[in-house]
Amino acid sequence: MVKAFVLCVFTLAAAVGPAVAQSKQPALTVYGAADLTVAFREIAALFEKGTGSKVVLVLGSTGNLAKQIEHGAPADIFFAANATFVDDLQAKGAVIPETRQLYAQGRIVLAVPRDGKLSIPRLEDLRRPEVRRIAIANPEHAPYGRAAQQALQAAGLWDALKPRLVYGENVRHALQFIETGAVDAGIVARSVADTPAVRHVPINPALHAPLNQIAAVVKRSARPELALAFLQFVNGPEGRPIMKRYGFLLPGDF
Amino acid sequence: MDAFPILLSFQVSLAATVLTLALGLPLAWVLARRRFPGHDVVEAAVVLPLVLPPTVLGYYLLVVIGARGPVGRLLDGLGIELAFTWRAAVLAACIGSIALLVKAAQAGFEAVDRRLEQAARTLGRSEWNIFWSVTLPLSWRAVFAGTVLAFCRALGDFGITLMVAGSIPGLTQTMPLAIYDYVQANQMREANLLSLVAVMTALLFLLGLGRLARLRF
Amino acid sequence: MLQLAVRKQLPGFTLDVAWEAGDEVVALFGASGAGKTLTLQCLAGLERPDRGRILVNGTVFFDDGTGTNVPSRRRRLGYVFQGYALFPHLSVADNVGYGLHDRSREERQRRTAEMLERLGLTGLADRRPRELSGGQQQRVALGRALAVDPELLLLDEPLSALDAPLRRQLRTELMGVLREWGNATVLVTHDLAEAFQLADRIVIYDGGRIVQAAPKSELLSRPASEQVARLLGVRNILRGTVLKATPEIIELSWRGYVLEAINSPIRTYLPLPGTEVAFFIRPEYVRLIRKDRPVDPGHHMNRMEGAVVREVDQGTNWTLLVTLDHAGTPAQGDHDLEIEVPKLVYEMLEIARDRRWAVSMHRGSIQVLPAA
Repeated sequence: MVKAFVLCVFTLAAAVGPAVAQSKQPALTVYGAADLTVAFREIAALFEKGTGSKVVLVLGSTGNLAKQIEHGAPADIFFAANATFVDDLQAKGAVIPETRQLYAQGRIVLAVPRDGKLSIPRLEDLRRPEVRRIAIANPEHAPYGRAAQQALQAAGLWDALKPRLVYGENVRHALQFIETGAVDAGIVARSVADTPAVRHVPINPALHAPLNQIAAVVKRSARPELALAFLQFVNGPEGRPIMKRYGFLLPGDF
Repeated sequence: MDAFPILLSFQVSLAATVLTLALGLPLAWVLARRRFPGHDVVEAAVVLPLVLPPTVLGYYLLVVIGARGPVGRLLDGLGIELAFTWRAAVLAACIGSIALLVKAAQAGFEAVDRRLEQAARTLGRSEWNIFWSVTLPLSWRAVFAGTVLAFCRALGDFGITLMVAGSIPGLTQTMPLAIYDYVQANQMREANLLSLVAVMTALLFLLGLGRLARLRF
Repeated sequence: MLQLAVRKQLPGFTLDVAWEAGDEVVALFGASGAGKTLTLQCLAGLERPDRGRILVNGTVFFDDGTGTNVPSRRRRLGYVFQGYALFPHLSVADNVGYGLHDRSREERQRRTAEMLERLGLTGLADRRPRELSGGQQQRVALGRALAVDPELLLLDEPLSALDAPLRRQLRTELMGVLREWGNATVLVTHDLAEAFQLADRIVIYDGGRIVQAAPKSELLSRPASEQVARLLGVRNILRGTVLKATPEIIELSWRGYVLEAINSPIRTYLPLPGTEVAFFIRPEYVRLIRKDRPVDPGHHMNRMEGAVVREVDQGTNWTLLVTLDHAGTPAQGDHDLEIEVPKLVYEMLEIARDRRWAVSMHRGSIQVLPAA
């Protein structure tokens, strides 16, 4: 009886081994900022269909992803939400400088839960006492969080609102706080805000530094040509309409 | 919905537990049976991973085994990949859970009457033999309890794994990471389903282990 | 053949001992904490002396000069622990056969069966130690130690875990086993009767040192010093002043009496007149002089008179506490001498009724103890 159990366990362990090995197919690993979540799912699917190459998306806050790439994460290409993190990687020799490219400019919006009782048309309305908690992405490592901070500072609201801020790991995380009603309002990327649970209004882009989103192929990549092809896909006739639909401004349009 | 995270998690946890036993049992034995300068320091160091924030631990681990770290570069030279592979997930799970095994096993070993080991020594057995024929059989309950705890902790590891293995779907995205990703993306249906399957599987496994324990006597 | 010289320093205790023994049973006797078990553990290789040399049957087990320290598992000895230390998770048969792991399966089974039969344990082969009585456990422990055919047998308080009636019975059984086995045995005990019954030679420990090592016959009749006498539980240890000393005779003054004792033939001990010495006379050797017969001076020497002030019932004997007639404080608190008489004699002489008695001590029964 004991032996049978132990045998089961080891068979299970052994059987999974191949499963893991198999998953390590030559796929294109795309590390991307959280604000690209929805847009890139579509683009990646299209790319897969078009080229037959599998795409694995790893999305998160730009800062965290950059750190991982610095320490050898298996990314083929990195789509950051700003320029500084890519610059940093470039200085450390982790990306191929020639492939560095601007692929979009992001926008931030002010969002509230759709079934919430609050209607917040403007930034200044955040001051109202009924707005007890506000979610933004962490300004330390999420460019959209930093943009949110800049916008609030420019509007003279930062000091008043700082105690009420809740930081998400990235814009997706911050969005989740809003969707679930855990917070009363938040500032997130335009590109992720089109979800049924949320209502949003644009924030004046002049209030923050431009969110120039830079991409670069990672030096350690085993498939730099494929990576570059993907970058060109995003910036090309197939990718641009999708990006536009999610509220990104595209190179050439600004 | 993808079953890969569950299978990966079980494989990683089993491998991590084997690693934990291989490293932790000798360590527990040394702590239980030998006095040496720095004994207290080692004891404290073993418990440290339970106390440090997982992401901090994960980060420092990454610095060591990542592409720019000493261990990482050494392994790279040997053609072995560690960081951001399932092996790193095993390492993360092991580090996060080894203290549970070591503490339990150490207590178990200390409770074994030293005279029994002395008797075995006079009867001609080597230290290695004495461990397997006397010490371990008499402390197996404590060791077993520690192993189960370590396994469960390995199964649920999140912070350390996230840092050193990343949450790469189809590669290193273990069950806890997958559930977190689903929740973050507000895909609650998938999150709930995966959680349910995870809990059921873990429960069945633990019940099986419990039955195994009672069978001994 | 065993030669041991060991020195070991522990916090608050120093062990510094040296003794020898042949192929006989040696008892290490002394109070708890005197270092007996520690010596045994050094012999067994379970403790490492700081200094010294241990030689057993021609093999050097330990020598700090050459840096030799044979590990315990290679010393080929049998050790019976205090409390037996039987493996609780193994059966009786597996316990006994535990040391035979390097033999073939058949030989192991054969030796084990042999041992079990020799010790009367055959029916219990599959039981666990916790199911056994104290006596059975002791036999299993013995069997386990002897099964490997050791060159030396070590026993640590083998009977102290048992209650008195069982202890007596098992002592006899153990004696039988040891006689039959015949090789060198070292036995640790704090029970004097046990040491005397089981051993040929006794080594007396006190505070980490040896105070006397001798064959047992010599020990009781000739303790090396007052300290040894006290450790042996000798009674009637008294102090007197030397009047005269020749190689044959020592004349003492004690309680106003002049006593004559034979001097030790082995050791010419000639204390100067006026020296205070310790001496003893065993209670069973102080004679009551019968009142119904004439007194023969050749038979009754060192005559004194006194009265019984107290008596203690010892079961088979009576101990009479007697105070002598001479003026002065009694030598031992409320009495001068302890006298032991068998119950038959007590009743015949009607001592319960007749309390006044003359006593005598043969000059050979008075043992003068050399200064420590």
